[in-house]
Amino acid sequence: MMKPSEPQRAAPECSPRRTQVAAGPRSPFRLRLRAVGFHLIALGVALTFLVPGAWVVAASLRQPGTPPPRRIEWLPNPVSWSNYTELFELLPMGRYLANSLFVAALAVPLTLVVASWAAFAMAQLPARWRYVLLGLAVALRMVPLPALWLTRFLVLSELRLIDTFAALLAPAWMGTSPFFVLIYYWSFRRLPPALIEAARLDGLGPLGIWARIAWPLARPATVAVSVLTFVHYWSDFISPLLYLKSEARYTVPVGLRVLQQLDATNWPLLMAGVVVMVLPVMVLFVFVQRAFWVGERIAGVQGN
Amino acid sequence: MTHRRYQRSLLLLLLPFLFGVTLLVVAPAILSLGLAFTHYDGLSAPSWAGWANFQALATNQLFGIAVVNSLLFVAISVPLRTLLTFGLALLFARPRRGVGLYRAAVYLPTVVPGVAYALIWLWILNPLYGPLNLLLGSVGLPTPAWLVDPRTALAAVALAAVFQLGEGFVILLAGLQEIPDEYYETATLDGAGRLAMVRAIVLPLLTPWLLLVVLRDLIVSVQSSFTPVLLMTGGGPYYATLLVPLLIYQTAFERLRFGEGAAMTLLVFLGVGLLIALTYRLFGGWGYDEAV
Repeated sequence: MMKPSEPQRAAPECSPRRTQVAAGPRSPFRLRLRAVGFHLIALGVALTFLVPGAWVVAASLRQPGTPPPRRIEWLPNPVSWSNYTELFELLPMGRYLANSLFVAALAVPLTLVVASWAAFAMAQLPARWRYVLLGLAVALRMVPLPALWLTRFLVLSELRLIDTFAALLAPAWMGTSPFFVLIYYWSFRRLPPALIEAARLDGLGPLGIWARIAWPLARPATVAVSVLTFVHYWSDFISPLLYLKSEARYTVPVGLRVLQQLDATNWPLLMAGVVVMVLPVMVLFVFVQRAFWVGERIAGVQGN
Repeated sequence: MTHRRYQRSLLLLLLPFLFGVTLLVVAPAILSLGLAFTHYDGLSAPSWAGWANFQALATNQLFGIAVVNSLLFVAISVPLRTLLTFGLALLFARPRRGVGLYRAAVYLPTVVPGVAYALIWLWILNPLYGPLNLLLGSVGLPTPAWLVDPRTALAAVALAAVFQLGEGFVILLAGLQEIPDEYYETATLDGAGRLAMVRAIVLPLLTPWLLLVVLRDLIVSVQSSFTPVLLMTGGGPYYATLLVPLLIYQTAFERLRFGEGAAMTLLVFLGVGLLIALTYRLFGGWGYDEAV
């Protein structure tokens, strides 16, 4: 489990043995020069990726009704918070936020259980089964989602789920994304077989072994999948757009779309909406940032 | 518990997942196969249409435009994003001080939700007040109208999408770490320079990972282009950014022509499959893949 207070460290499995890639006879001065060069380029890259965020925050603090700036503004003068209050007065933003949180709060645990069960079974089944299921997971990842919108709508309406939160939650029944199943699969494949064999001989069934051994040892995978799942449901615009009708059930992404349709030129207000939507995701990302790196690589059994 | 019984009860753990996949992927896929050959508006019962939906698409000008635009979009965004991802992965592959922060900065735009991301770029690309044109103007560079000009609109949408490259970035970083250090050391002893090393060692060993990233990007370009296009341009100006997913949405959900939508859906399946096969051939297969 990673703590935010830990010092920055690169992908853990490689740090001790990694040596200078282009090692050669070099004077310390030239090495230092190269380090400076690297940091200059890296800073440039990082700024390119981060500066738009600063622009958004600055725009959201601009006093409403004032003409748009004619040059780049890093901090508006005067700073005005009224866009944020107006956001909640103009639209039931609080309700949208609550709906989004509710959906994510149900979707995350369901996803964790479905994905980790499937992955545990996959990891434990004989090779022939394993390859079939791995193939299935990869094939599922390759299906372009727009190809399913329409008929998924028909299936959901047959089940009387249109205009319910259950329609938004539905993907959790397949672990939300086949990728999440794979993250757990890689984690479980690294468990020592002897440990599981011993538990089995002690009379534990698959569910018991999952609950007492596999799940606790796969905590880094759980952190990664929880975060990614939360972000998925928090961001999901297409499901509510296609499957919801009543305004009372709108989630934040649809709320933002409504805001855009109300007044597409009120940039300060729109950017305030963007900040409200992005902030929770950013906070989460900063806290569990390291889970991402180990994340895709095998969702880090090594992170322990 | 016996081995036999253990394995049988393992299958029970798979059930919820298989149930979800059947309900949400397999059933819809089969349904769209059937629906493509019917007239259906969601209200009255579907009636058999034969190939009529496909024949209608063949003469539908908008569909032609959308297909060409989608292919163009893929042709711009996939190579651009792959090259950038590869360059960034090479730059930040080695652990050194501060590299974690740089990697985080590169990943950050990827976690921004699609709707927020589209609105942010809609504002950045605003021809008059957008920060990008203010920046370009202040250093004397040309300030195109971006999304408002049919000539630049599609490229502008592709440009905005470039920054969400975190997933591919992480995959390539993982791939680079799989390359044993000895290879680099031997190459250095042989006097290889940086570029030679990239060409002779990194590229061949990274092929399976690059292929994975390109395939992922192909599929994502098809599905993730919907939200930006709907919010940023609505398919305009003059259909310059009308992409196939947007047309499916308009045909099926706004005009309730489910049969025609399903026919398009089926063609998307085939088209993406074809592109995947083509890319796979282009790369010469998985190469050295020992992963999984």
